[in-house]
Amino acid sequence: MPSRHNASDSNQNINRRNVIATIGAAGAASLAGCGGQSNGGDGGDGGDGGDGELFPLDVQIEVNADNSDRLQMVELIAESMEQSGYFNTTVETYEWNTYVGRVLDPEYQNNGVIPCIGLSGTFNPGSFCNALHHSDNIGACCNLNGINDSELDDLIDDARYGVDVASDSQLRGERYDEVWNYLAEERYSSITHFDLATAVSNTDVHGFEMWPFAEGTYSYNMFAPQDEQVMWLDRDNAAGDSDLSDLTEGGTMRIAISANVESFDPPHSSDTTSTLAQGFLFEALITSDSEGNVYPWLAESYEALDTQDIDRTAYADYMSTVGTTEEGAVDTDEQVIIQHPEDSPAEDDEVRVLLPDDATEAAEDGTYGMQYRYNLQEGVEFHNGDELTAEDVVATYEYVENSVLAPQTFDSLLTVVQIDEYTVDLYAQVPDAEAERSLPGRSILSSSQIQEVEKGNIDPREGNTPIGTGPYEFSEFEDEQYYEVTKFDNYWTEQKGVSEAFSWFDGSGDFPDGPVIDDFEVEIVPDDSTRSGALQNGEVDSTYGLNTATLDDFKSSEDFLVYGVETGGYEYIQYPVNVAPFDDARLRKAINHLIPRERIVENVLNGYARPAWTDLPALAQGSGTADADALEEEIRPTNEYDVERAGELLDQVAADN
Amino acid sequence: MSLQRFILKRTLSIIPIMFGVSVITFGLFHLTPGDPVTQLVALNPDVTAAEEAALRERWGLSGPVWQQYLDWITNVLVGDFGQELRTGREVSDIVWARLPETVALGLFGWAFALIIAIPAGIYAAVNKDQFGDTVSRFLALSGISIPNFWLGLMLILIFSLYLGLFPVLAPSRQSLLSPEMLWYLILPGITIGTASAASIMRVMRTSMTEELNKEYVTAARAKGLPERTVILKHVLRNSLISVVTLAATLTASIVAGSVVVEVVFNWPGLGREFIDAINQREINVVMAITLFTGFFVILANLVADIVYAALDPRIRYD
Repeated sequence: MPSRHNASDSNQNINRRNVIATIGAAGAASLAGCGGQSNGGDGGDGGDGGDGELFPLDVQIEVNADNSDRLQMVELIAESMEQSGYFNTTVETYEWNTYVGRVLDPEYQNNGVIPCIGLSGTFNPGSFCNALHHSDNIGACCNLNGINDSELDDLIDDARYGVDVASDSQLRGERYDEVWNYLAEERYSSITHFDLATAVSNTDVHGFEMWPFAEGTYSYNMFAPQDEQVMWLDRDNAAGDSDLSDLTEGGTMRIAISANVESFDPPHSSDTTSTLAQGFLFEALITSDSEGNVYPWLAESYEALDTQDIDRTAYADYMSTVGTTEEGAVDTDEQVIIQHPEDSPAEDDEVRVLLPDDATEAAEDGTYGMQYRYNLQEGVEFHNGDELTAEDVVATYEYVENSVLAPQTFDSLLTVVQIDEYTVDLYAQVPDAEAERSLPGRSILSSSQIQEVEKGNIDPREGNTPIGTGPYEFSEFEDEQYYEVTKFDNYWTEQKGVSEAFSWFDGSGDFPDGPVIDDFEVEIVPDDSTRSGALQNGEVDSTYGLNTATLDDFKSSEDFLVYGVETGGYEYIQYPVNVAPFDDARLRKAINHLIPRERIVENVLNGYARPAWTDLPALAQGSGTADADALEEEIRPTNEYDVERAGELLDQVAADN
Repeated sequence: MSLQRFILKRTLSIIPIMFGVSVITFGLFHLTPGDPVTQLVALNPDVTAAEEAALRERWGLSGPVWQQYLDWITNVLVGDFGQELRTGREVSDIVWARLPETVALGLFGWAFALIIAIPAGIYAAVNKDQFGDTVSRFLALSGISIPNFWLGLMLILIFSLYLGLFPVLAPSRQSLLSPEMLWYLILPGITIGTASAASIMRVMRTSMTEELNKEYVTAARAKGLPERTVILKHVLRNSLISVVTLAATLTASIVAGSVVVEVVFNWPGLGREFIDAINQREINVVMAITLFTGFFVILANLVADIVYAALDPRIRYD
């Protein structure tokens, strides 16, 4: 049952205004110039003096109840809208699963309500516009209110797909700038803020830096020559301004993570803690620095050999026809690489699909979007002593078929073809500017292990020790309790030396040839307060994902260091654009001006977030804009808290009604 | 009716009860929205509707509820509790792996409850309406009223963080019976046993007070028996009957309490698994743990009935 807080209840309303006014009078800096001044005068006039009909408008905002920060944020937005005098707001809350089911229903758009939800984006700038706004994602994640704007669809597609953007990153940035400007003009959704990822370590941990994605926090810190990043333990000297020349080797680092490791099998799990565990053991063909730039890793080098101007219908000749089930699933046990864009499994009895063997055939015949060639490092040893060859890469990508990671892999990948022992080609389905980052992103597994185990069973609970090429090898695991990894003696970068292994490395001579910590002991501790207790008590050296109030305690202590960096996590509300009067962009922009972004960040999130002045967070600026500063300068005014401007816009809307 | 027939009858009645439990849990579970597929892929922009449907099909989540129940119960009747859907691991393996931890915690809590409650109950009854009685009743009321997650956090705060007597994390590399582990179990044991201790103490006090007013007590005292013998040998034994019933019923609350306490103390038992399973909508795991604990509670009540007879031969089963 949804619970209801009706902010338009008059008594409550008066009380709340009083409360806010009192806080304002008490001098809370962040409130100055916000609700305090504006709630009395013009707001009230707008409400009473409008053309009668439209305002005050009843607006319902919906949110899941279990995320208290998000709920508080929504209540703050509702309150701010209420105070303008133009709106009577209701906040409706749902249990998480109910909520997800509700907002992903394609009919949801007809309810005329404003949902609020959070998503996590990546280095791919598309993850901040596509999921929310592309018409392909209506009834899926996360175009909740049925935004169907073909001009916008084209803008989003043209920023990622096409021969031109795939080969010209400047052009790609410009294309994305068009997207952000278009979105600012239409304001279908309002992104409120970008999250900060945080970790806390005691001062024994030196050289720690925050990585924007929790799952990579520790694997990034153990050894990342692309950013000249490495952490070490020194239990005698406190960390602070230590540098590489102080580096000491050895030791056991104990960390606490927030959830069990669902699986050690890389493509058969996507949860944060599983990926975090796999980060010690496995490596991919490439790696990435903290800005999302790609560096060859298990591949010594790579190059884009060819790009062809085709779309997915070009594979029609290679496709097979298969049936569909009543529930709208494609009836095949094989991985569907591409489904013909003109067919729909929900509506048709038969659909055309490209299956793995056909995809390879197409690529070999010369039908593909892009061809990338990877030259593997020679002498890379797996934990079982085998040497890495192209065969392992091919087997890995076959192993990804029908796994949890298959959807995002075969979103862009066509097929993988072995050229010789140390050379492999990866093909993209269409010319795709994201291909360089997304195609080679999978953890490389050992082909001999793949042959031995059943799919999905590379896991100690199934009696199989995970085998990768990573700097640590699996040592022990007790389900729901802890796991341990130990430094791998024959780790390849240590054999070669870091500057030998990576031709792009131009860092300090002090930088080590591999990770320097001997062992990691990882405790699985779901409860936040227990995790912070264990850290305080010295039972672990580091943890992440603590709540913001606890972080302040650690911040004020001399024995701990709190690290934070802006991530791709973001929250947004989306306007019901298909229901009047929300079809009017001026109304949406007005509400956007009533979102107190700074207050949300300061008061609700204790400063552990950044207001979303544009729709593009720092981590995706590398490929998401031609000029980040210019973009912010241009778009920020449209996202500022501005009651006056909101009032003007709403008066215009009222006048036209 | 003989004891044997009573036990047989009660044992047979387990079957309809378990059936009822399974139908209700299964039904309720399906009334709550969402399934493992929603959990796994709902907020992934790369997953298409067709892929989602295929996953439901593969995991047997696409038919009507009665069909899913029939599939499930047919397997359970031949001893197959199915798999955890996301990982494909056998549910029975999961339950067996977690069981020793929860049993150890439960036994510890239960023992703590009895060791505290029975002497305190006796003391309170003997010193009825005096200062000591008032104090113990106040403590009992607090014990019942304090939520155990809060008590657990407070114990951690005081005894682990301030005083440093106990580790915050369970010494995970130790066997369950090692001294380190038994030491660690004290705080969660106290947490889980406190509410039960309070209830038992109050019942103990009441029934002891009642017994103390009976004529046989006066007779025993008149006979010149030392007070100690009167209390411990005669009155205690008679008062224990109601405590035994309660202690058995409290098994249920200890099992239920373990869900919360295991999360707070990071104890890898069935309770933590249960919470995870509910959050992830892993129906097979939820069903197996529910059935298992249901069975355990029924069994505890049966044992209580049998112990009655041992304590008071006048009780007849008809």
